[in-house]
Amino acid sequence: MAESSLPDAFFDLNPYLEWALPSEHARRAKRASTSMSEIRAFYDAMLERMEAVLSFLEKYPADDPPADVELLFLLATALAEIAPAVEMYGEQTADGMDVLRLKPVDIYPQRLSREL
Amino acid sequence: MSARAKQAPAKIWHDDYPQLGTGPLPIEPYISEQHFERERDKIFRKVWLNVGRVEQIPQAGDYFVKPLEICRTSILVARDDDGEVRAFHNMCSHRGNRLVWDDKGSSRGFVCKYHGWTYRADGSLQAITDEKRFFDLDKSCLGLTPVHVGIWEGFIYVNVDPEPVESLEDFLGEVGQSFAGYPFAELATACFSWQVEVKANWKVGKDAFQEVYHISSLHGRSTGRMFASPANPFLNVHEAALFDPHARISVPANLDWKPHPVEDLAKRFGILTLQKQGISSAGMPPVVNPTNSPDWSFSGFNCFPNTSIFVSEGGFLTHTFWPLAVDRTLWETRIYFPKAKTMAERFSQEYSRSTFLDGVMAEDGGIFEATQSMLASGAKTEFYLSDEELLIRHHHKIIADYLNA
Repeated sequence: MAESSLPDAFFDLNPYLEWALPSEHARRAKRASTSMSEIRAFYDAMLERMEAVLSFLEKYPADDPPADVELLFLLATALAEIAPAVEMYGEQTADGMDVLRLKPVDIYPQRLSREL
Repeated sequence: MSARAKQAPAKIWHDDYPQLGTGPLPIEPYISEQHFERERDKIFRKVWLNVGRVEQIPQAGDYFVKPLEICRTSILVARDDDGEVRAFHNMCSHRGNRLVWDDKGSSRGFVCKYHGWTYRADGSLQAITDEKRFFDLDKSCLGLTPVHVGIWEGFIYVNVDPEPVESLEDFLGEVGQSFAGYPFAELATACFSWQVEVKANWKVGKDAFQEVYHISSLHGRSTGRMFASPANPFLNVHEAALFDPHARISVPANLDWKPHPVEDLAKRFGILTLQKQGISSAGMPPVVNPTNSPDWSFSGFNCFPNTSIFVSEGGFLTHTFWPLAVDRTLWETRIYFPKAKTMAERFSQEYSRSTFLDGVMAEDGGIFEATQSMLASGAKTEFYLSDEELLIRHHHKIIADYLNA
């Protein structure tokens, strides 16, 4: 991802690119190891821009997006990944099984957000 | 109380099934090695088991391998050149090696890595390496050993009994037929799935998806209030119905739920599985919302013995519990969606996936192991079921019937 950048209209989200991770496991590991204050900062910054982000993503067909669109999508997906920590739990993880134990099994292989 | 508030539950589900009784149930079936071995022989090696869906093998030559430890075998499921779905024991006819070692793939045939014997996708033996050095072989009799396979609404079932006592259609019976017209194929064009080995008996997992009584407490911080409402705080179901050996429940929604900010965005730009309130069941078969309740969210089809299928408006999902040992289970979950048209719809599906990961996989998965560890203590010998846990009682009864048959 290092060679990619966000679409110009979303340059303000560049400070959060460390969240644009390509796999569920990587995003979950980051959520579990990041402080709630940092998670909330990412959440707040993203939420403010999500209406625009989704209106932008809505213009792109679901397959083979340009690299910058894919990067924005991954950033939005990271928001989806951490949203339960902020909106439901007030802490990084649910009180239960560690989801990092789960093995994602891609039975339809076209989902680029879930590189295994 | 709003007009749609649920009345005090006048209906006692157990009243419809007096033969099941109302007493406590024994814990022994969850911890007994002997009971586990009887389940293996008298249930899992006898009944139809859901191993996947046809979308996993769309083209001729596509295949997947399903290890079935509980049946002491590995099953190769393949689509042959005529487009038929076939299933075989994944075993070379020569000296018994496991034939295919990949999880899935596409191939015009299968080559045993031991001595190079080759098989066609229809299971027939194609070639024997250095065949002239063998004695009196009839290749036409040395194909892969077939396993009975059946397709219901795109779900692939296998039965390892050489002579199943009933067809898949008869096994699924009335409740199977009642799903005709539910758009499984349309909704199964995209999928997230996970596997995890949990330290729990397979029935501990299955039980959690046979009742929604736990939703308001166990999922109280996550999804609980999307379903339970002030008028129905303990999420009494719209329907609990038994269709031996299967069962069905229909689950209310909290129409007054105010979505979280990201949830609201995800809902506006796409459809979430099982998480949308005021769902329309128009155009779907009556089985989906059998009481035609406006405050309906999803219905569950408990397919005996080890699969639960939950259907809703925007998608469906399955949980399957594959027994590995009396206290170990492979939990396999798949959430199906219609393939997203835009990147924004994909975001909505990712949100569904993420909340499912926390609100189901983490929260329910934690309970499985916490429960099993204490069942194994032997401190108690029985547990107690409410009327809302009818399906668990029924599952126990069906298992006992199979073991005593």
